[in-house]
Amino acid sequence: MLISFLIWLQNLEPFTELRSSGYVYPVVLALHVTAISLFGAMIVATDLRLLGWALRDGSIADVVDWLRWPKRIGFLLAATCGFLLFSSKAEEYYYNPFFRIKILLFTLVAVHAMVFRKSVYGSPAELDLGAQPPARAKLAAGLSLFLWLAILCAGRAIGYVAGRPGMHFK
Amino acid sequence: MLIENPLSTSPSSFPILECFHIAGFALSIGMTALVDFRLLGFGLQKQPPAQIARAFDWWMFGGLIVAVFSGLLLFSTDPDMYYLNWFFLIKMVCLVLAIVFNYTIHRRAVTPGLSPAAGRAVAFVSLALWVSVIFGGIFIAVIRPGLT
Repeated sequence: MLISFLIWLQNLEPFTELRSSGYVYPVVLALHVTAISLFGAMIVATDLRLLGWALRDGSIADVVDWLRWPKRIGFLLAATCGFLLFSSKAEEYYYNPFFRIKILLFTLVAVHAMVFRKSVYGSPAELDLGAQPPARAKLAAGLSLFLWLAILCAGRAIGYVAGRPGMHFK
Repeated sequence: MLIENPLSTSPSSFPILECFHIAGFALSIGMTALVDFRLLGFGLQKQPPAQIARAFDWWMFGGLIVAVFSGLLLFSTDPDMYYLNWFFLIKMVCLVLAIVFNYTIHRRAVTPGLSPAAGRAVAFVSLALWVSVIFGGIFIAVIRPGLT
């Protein structure tokens, strides 16, 4: 069911074109990496502030509110390019163990967002009340850094799994 | 070969170095971009560009050091392929320009008193140079020259 959908997806004309293109594929990949740089630095900046390691002359609320929308835009750009890259070889990605690990890590990112939405990211003004950021903010930041770094490594490792024979590429 | 590069004997050393390389340049380029976006008028309005630049300065430098050293090790695994690769040469030119620009004109552009128009121009050049470095890096994989 899922696999037949993925075969259908990868054989849609734009994705067949992308798969066999000499230069379009690396352009999409480079845009993916550019978006990762922008998005990644915003994640690190937020987390460093939550840990109290950088931007200490600004309040936590300022940094969290400042980067909330830019982060969403950066993620959307990275995810859109990622979806294009995935769709051009959807069947192969399905079998790739590092792709599966990456998807699992994204699920954990979603859980992280739900767990800390109320207590950290949704109410940053309360985090500024003490002299030090509260423990829950530091925990959220540490886990976020770990998860995104793991996603980066899993993403890079996807390219090192040899292609499988018997894929249904048109 | 008289001396074997130890990095070439283990198949996982290249991808592991690449992860350090990506994390390093993502940190340095992304943080520079945050300063550039501030110069362009987006972002933390309460803080002047100088304050954002100062806060990120050492993190940006740390990321750059990690990216450059992991890059040198990656280069060492196949030097003549890189040397003969046009995209690698373009990337190196853009990288040198980007680093020099960052520590001269870009550094001065964040100081208070500069006209916003000049700040925007500097931010635009900075973003263009760093994005060119990323594109150059990705495109190295598109051509694979070798010594014949």
